[in-house]
Amino acid sequence: MENSSPSSSPPPYSPTLSSSSSGASKFLSNLPSRGFLSSTVLSSNPGGIRVYICEHETLPPEDQLIHTNQTNILIRSLQLKKQKGEPGPKDANGSNAAEGSRKRASEKVMDGRASAKRSNNQNGPEGSGSRTSDKDLYSLTVERLRVLLKERGLSPKGKKDELVARLRSANG
Amino acid sequence: MSVWNYVVTAHKPTNVTHSCVGNFTSPQELNLITAKCTRIEIHLLTPQGLQPMLDVPIYGRIATLELFRPHGEAQDFLFIATERYKFCVLQWDVEASELITRAMGDVSDRIGRPTDNAQIGIIDPDCRLIGLHLYDGLFKVIPFDNKGQLKEAFNIRLEELQVLDIKFLYGCAKPTIVVLYQDNKDARHVKTYEVALKDKDFVEGPWSQNNLDNGADLLIPVPPPLCGVLIIGEETIVYCSANAFKAIPIRPAITKAYGRVDADGSRYLLGDHAGLLNLLVITHEKEKVTGLKIELLGETSIPSTISYLDNAFVFIGSSFGDSQLIKLNLQPDAKGSYVEVLERYVNLGPIVDFCVVDLERQGQGQVVTCSGAYKDGSLRIVRNGIGINEQASVELQGIKGMWSLRSSTDDPFDTFLVVSFISETRVLAMNLEDELEETEIEGFYSQVQTLFCHYAVHNQLVQVTSSSVRLVSSTTRELRNEWNAPSGYSINVATANASQVLLATGGGNLVYLEIGDGVLTEVKHTQLEYEISCLDINPIGDNLNHSQLAAVGMWTDISVRIFSLPDLNLVTKEHLGGEIIPRSVLLCSFEGISYLLCALGDGHLLNFQLNLMSGELTDRKKVSLGTQPITLRTFSSKNATHVFAASDRPTVIYSSNKKLLYSNVNLKEVSHMCPFNSAAFPDSLAIAKEGELTIGTIDEIQKLHIRSIPLGEHARRICHQEQSRTFAICSLKHQTSAEESETHFVRLLDDQTFEFLSAYQLDPFEYGCSLLSCSFSDDSNVYYCVGTAYVLPEENEPTKGRILVFSIEDGKLQLITEKETKGAVYSLNAFNGKLLAAINQKIQLYKWMLRDDGSRELQSECGHHGHILALYVQTRGDFIVVGDLMKSISLLIYKHEEGAIEERARDYNANWMSAVEILDDDIYIGSENNYNLFTVRKNSEGATDEERSRLEVIGEYHLGEFVNRFRHGSLVMRLPDSDVGQIPTVIFGTINGVIGVIASLPHDQYLFLEKLQTNLRKVIKGVGGLSHEQWRSFNNEKRTADAKNFLDGDLIESFLDLSRVRMDEISKAMSVSVEELCKRVEELTRLH
Repeated sequence: MENSSPSSSPPPYSPTLSSSSSGASKFLSNLPSRGFLSSTVLSSNPGGIRVYICEHETLPPEDQLIHTNQTNILIRSLQLKKQKGEPGPKDANGSNAAEGSRKRASEKVMDGRASAKRSNNQNGPEGSGSRTSDKDLYSLTVERLRVLLKERGLSPKGKKDELVARLRSANG
Repeated sequence: MSVWNYVVTAHKPTNVTHSCVGNFTSPQELNLITAKCTRIEIHLLTPQGLQPMLDVPIYGRIATLELFRPHGEAQDFLFIATERYKFCVLQWDVEASELITRAMGDVSDRIGRPTDNAQIGIIDPDCRLIGLHLYDGLFKVIPFDNKGQLKEAFNIRLEELQVLDIKFLYGCAKPTIVVLYQDNKDARHVKTYEVALKDKDFVEGPWSQNNLDNGADLLIPVPPPLCGVLIIGEETIVYCSANAFKAIPIRPAITKAYGRVDADGSRYLLGDHAGLLNLLVITHEKEKVTGLKIELLGETSIPSTISYLDNAFVFIGSSFGDSQLIKLNLQPDAKGSYVEVLERYVNLGPIVDFCVVDLERQGQGQVVTCSGAYKDGSLRIVRNGIGINEQASVELQGIKGMWSLRSSTDDPFDTFLVVSFISETRVLAMNLEDELEETEIEGFYSQVQTLFCHYAVHNQLVQVTSSSVRLVSSTTRELRNEWNAPSGYSINVATANASQVLLATGGGNLVYLEIGDGVLTEVKHTQLEYEISCLDINPIGDNLNHSQLAAVGMWTDISVRIFSLPDLNLVTKEHLGGEIIPRSVLLCSFEGISYLLCALGDGHLLNFQLNLMSGELTDRKKVSLGTQPITLRTFSSKNATHVFAASDRPTVIYSSNKKLLYSNVNLKEVSHMCPFNSAAFPDSLAIAKEGELTIGTIDEIQKLHIRSIPLGEHARRICHQEQSRTFAICSLKHQTSAEESETHFVRLLDDQTFEFLSAYQLDPFEYGCSLLSCSFSDDSNVYYCVGTAYVLPEENEPTKGRILVFSIEDGKLQLITEKETKGAVYSLNAFNGKLLAAINQKIQLYKWMLRDDGSRELQSECGHHGHILALYVQTRGDFIVVGDLMKSISLLIYKHEEGAIEERARDYNANWMSAVEILDDDIYIGSENNYNLFTVRKNSEGATDEERSRLEVIGEYHLGEFVNRFRHGSLVMRLPDSDVGQIPTVIFGTINGVIGVIASLPHDQYLFLEKLQTNLRKVIKGVGGLSHEQWRSFNNEKRTADAKNFLDGDLIESFLDLSRVRMDEISKAMSVSVEELCKRVEELTRLH
């Protein structure tokens, strides 16, 4: 099981040089030269290489310690669009619109996380304020609503509409 | 062995994975930079050739290496990304000769699936951004600002999930990448994207190309004025740009590497899987591409990287064979090849298997590796220390001293060899038949012991005996002058050079004589307070015949003193400390630095740097060479001066990069040595050892010696058999016919000449998987056992295999018996006089049975199920340690009474194993496929069954190398009475060609070195700001944990390379003297 070779064994072929290959000469002329390796007698000594020991500080300048922007790609693109004041992919042509709708689809997939993030991320480009709208409550799952109700010491029983109503009244 | 392990590299990685050429070390200098997995090497191109400059260790496995030139910079920067998602940008500071970190960072993402194909790191040709493809579906961008500074990185979603290659296109107004990818129907396409830095997103690029060659695997961006990209497939090569498409068919080949020849990108070198080098030419009229041409140039090692250097010279970096420096000739040679190989750079990788043998039976281990792959497969014999190639030897007992003499002052060769015994002196000389023959120098005393001999100016010879100094003509061989010791005194020690004699008589009298033409003049006499133990006046100044300084070792106060000559004034006095008297002192000079070496009676050696003007001694260092008194002598080999330290552990002291190095000589015990450079035996040494006088030449002065045995096929298993003095190997040969086929062999080789003695061809599709030399109970013969597997294309796992048992008869493999198995025989072990085989998921024990007709057979006795694939098995007594494909290590026990194998304990981690070994009864070591090492311990004292059934993980370490094999043994001669002789070691071999040593240390030493390592981490910084602690932390997909119970010997041993200031810092932090630290670290370097 040693990892010595690529997984597929390559098909070997005959290394004999055909007569037609003598044409390589004309392509091998004028190889670039900048004056190095020009001596006819080459000497090199692979044994005597010095090992580098780094005794000085090697951390980069402070602003060159690079991190990755941690914002979710999707949120970032939304933020960028908001900054530009674009309402969305409306103005885009057909192909872009298709892409946009696909993106929306994926947005839905990530709904739970995105909304959770959004609630943490109140300092976003357009603050959603302290107002917890109906829509926000309706966008939560029943289970999540029940947790919220429990936190407030309210009964977690009933249909979704009832839960939302109860929560809204509790929030005042 | 023990829990506390010290891991050190004996042979550094040699697998060249990347290379690039640019102006790195200065705007005028052109450099070749190569990456060897965890190291980079910087070479300088000179008119005379490639000059190695620097070997830089990197705390990471290098995934990408690129040179680039940010705007406004005069020289290139080096971009390195490591497999553990760190990157750094390095710049060479010309003034300080240091590598500066311009930028670094962590480019890992918390979520994301690491790419199956290699990580990609590319830099926009206009230096607008760095692009990284590390996770499927993500493209990371590190933008540059207009001052060449890096900014915050961000990810862009890449729709293509199976990316094969990404490159930046040249000559685009916006940074544009071209992506080669495979869709879910396995068809391959390329697509271009512009990177919109402001929107942090991709914009559809200028063109795309669908349905390429199914083997397309490599993109080559073409620089302006042509621009566009070359797509290299297995059967076609395509040139593609927004407005052109050209394709040519090629002979089927997998292109492994390319190198651009011209700056305008019209010619490229392509190297394929068979090592064939092709020249690809883009023919064009002005800026319009008219077609492609490909020409075969010749054969090289199978390349992993190709760099066109200059003036038709090309560097071929290889993972499967030696890397090469080649020249492209304008005219083909007789075989039609345009390639001339000028130099080969040894590469041991991939080490698939190896064995440790003692071929010369001297207690000196040698490692024989299965190295290389495909056509570049070879065996390599790796030996530590310097060998003496014996030319002649005579039996001579009781040698007390030896000196070689020339017959005239200007004769380049030595003629006489003066050998001194306790009560006589004999002179040997080369006769006309080039034989060593006893002769006589009439002017010498031959009835007494000689204390010293030397040739002198004016064709004279000097002999010092206990009573007198005799000056003899080397032409007439007659006495010309004599200086007698004062009556009542005898000469105890003496030394001389061509024009001076220094001697000591009893009572601490030191006498200095000068040699004239036929006269000996007593110039100075002084009395010291104690007896003198040793002297030296070896000339190290400009005058080769005359010394300005004398070194004197003293009894009683245990000191070494420097006197000026001729006035015998005391210049320096250095107390050595301790109670052991100095037995030999030597003044010598290496690489322009003068040293005083002082050897003690207990095998220790002190060295000082000597200031020739002031006589001052600085930088005292102490090492232990052996346990017996040492005699020091200089000799020269290949125009360099070295020092031979004769003792129970003979050592050659030499200097490299202004640092003294000690390399042991592969001889058991040498009492005296003198250089003997005769016409018949040029550059030879005369060596007195164990009642024998030997004349021999010395190997090249370096630590490891590697001999290559090219096989032309890929050796996968090796085993040595002491009794038949043979090696057996399992190998495979790739047929060079049109059909894709490989044939597997078991081959027998002579262990001295490495000639093929015999071969056994395995069946079609049958692979040799394991190899063992063993004997069975009730049978005195020794056999080779071979385990095989039938690897059929339609099967996922082999379901059939064989165990073949061979004996050696008249140097031929003779098949004695075979046994069919129900799977691949991954491992074979000798076990209680039986044969233990690992067959797929099963461990199976076979008895060696005698049939009624006298023939033998293997009979199944018992077995144990419960593994995924039992790949690696080691045994000790009744215990069996199994390394599983993915279930880490488990411990089995064989129960004699029940005749059954049962599981005793296991490690419940999911490690994918690559090798296991038993360190001692309770501790086992394993390596796994994330390049980690770990040790586990059997818990026999556990209170509950649950505890006892668990192998406790006690050591973890990130080696950064894929280990294929562990073997007990040592590369160095183990002397029972030396300090390091007690330290048990295990050797390992890796894919990158590393040979490493794991040494088990006593606990107190481990703690000491751990402290040293912690202090060294503060002083020795990781290049590029990479952290040593992070690098050595155990790391797999699931978790990362600090290294424990393993020490990094490479870091610890680099203590010896530190500047004195830093050594002092560490010494202060450790509260241990520099001298002691040096000595303890130096001792460790003798483990490998």
